[in-house]
Amino acid sequence: MFDYTFHWHQALRAWPRLLEGALVTLEVAVLSMIIGITIAIVLAVARTSNVAIFRAAAISWIELARNTPALFQIYMVHFGLGAFGLHLSPYLSLLVGIAFNNAGYLAETFRGALRAIPPTQTRAARSLGMGPVQAFVLIILPQMFRIAFLPASNQMVWAILMTSLGIIVGMNTDLAGVTQDLNVRTFRTFEFFALAAVFYYAIAKSVGIGARLIAWRLFRY
Amino acid sequence: MKKMTLAAVGMAVAMTAAPAQADKLDDIISSGVLRCAVVLDFPPMGSRDADNNPIGFDVDYCNDLAAALGVDAEIVETPFPDRIPALISGRADVGVASTSDTLERAKTVGFTIPYFAFQMVVLTREDTGIADFEGMAGRTVGSVAGTYEAIALEQNVDAWGGGDFRPYNSQADVFLALAQGQIESTVVTSTVASSIIQSGQYDGFVMRGDAPYDIDYVGLIALREEYGLLNYLDLFVNQQVRTGRYAELYAQWIGEGDAPNLTVPNVYR
Repeated sequence: MFDYTFHWHQALRAWPRLLEGALVTLEVAVLSMIIGITIAIVLAVARTSNVAIFRAAAISWIELARNTPALFQIYMVHFGLGAFGLHLSPYLSLLVGIAFNNAGYLAETFRGALRAIPPTQTRAARSLGMGPVQAFVLIILPQMFRIAFLPASNQMVWAILMTSLGIIVGMNTDLAGVTQDLNVRTFRTFEFFALAAVFYYAIAKSVGIGARLIAWRLFRY
Repeated sequence: MKKMTLAAVGMAVAMTAAPAQADKLDDIISSGVLRCAVVLDFPPMGSRDADNNPIGFDVDYCNDLAAALGVDAEIVETPFPDRIPALISGRADVGVASTSDTLERAKTVGFTIPYFAFQMVVLTREDTGIADFEGMAGRTVGSVAGTYEAIALEQNVDAWGGGDFRPYNSQADVFLALAQGQIESTVVTSTVASSIIQSGQYDGFVMRGDAPYDIDYVGLIALREEYGLLNYLDLFVNQQVRTGRYAELYAQWIGEGDAPNLTVPNVYR
């Protein structure tokens, strides 16, 4: 059976390094969400555009992002682009890979939210003299964010967990990378992985709770 | 007479009630299968042939060990970082996986006497202009996470101050990264370096001298508390050298030169 004596002392001594790793993880996740949300808005609009080429581009991105593993996407950013001489650091490869994935998923979330907004909203805005861009930015977007906020916070949790895939492209500063490094030096696999799991849980849970609090505060009718 | 029978039954019960504790060595022999954790992207120690069968020095070493035990060998493919979990979760009995015997690791897992020893060399591309180990200072370098050379190289990069160290998950990824220019150089065992250069898979790969690391002695690994098994493995390693089988395997898989000396002068093990 499970023949293993846990040595927590040794593992707990490494917690400052794990904490540093956790901050990098959070940083990558937040940046990937900011980039992802920006691109997702463009994709969601392009997806319903009348111009065929925009539509096709948006659909390809969304299909690829949603129907291939994130691991594959990150690997392709690092080694796939590398084959064409474009060398991204592990940090950037991970960020770009997750942002690509986020954009694909969020685009669909946003598209759903846009469809939930009655078209009369746009028409009313236009009849008040707003231009199409003005109406979209001032009237439609805020409502879209309100509807899509909680589903998007789900994607944020997913982004945090996806950062652990950075180890396949040589990332060694995030939580998973630091954990792997400590593991190979000491072979105390289960202690370090258990600690890392606690960190991941804590980060993901606080994002979930934080999102609920924000939603409760902001979106009261 | 009845008393005698009772006593005999009593003794029989006592004997079955307190059997000798069967250890891992007993388990292996009675199950008839020896499961070896072997790294299969580390030629010539472990790799796969054209038909996807495991081959290499470590694979043959495992086969020899199984033959000595009188059981069948089963190769459990295990990436470098997963060697310990493979043992602890019971997926493998013994690690024949070029595991460097550091004191840090010996707190967790049981090592045998060395069964092989590696010399580390600098592997780079011709166009990087890196001429020797010192030439790697300030460059972006990488290696396979969890290996002896990766741990040593990361410490060098920290000491040099500049440059960057990247731990990849497999030897294949390190070579790919080196070929693409993601990293400029790596430190690998001389066996791996000559094997990849000879394969001709990547143009421009060159060896640029030895890395100034201690000789990397590697042992077989088993669970730390399995003294019976570890004791058997120590004797097996000794016998492999004594019978000339070690030299034979070296000639078959590595080739050039003499098989590395597995003893350290002036000290017992």
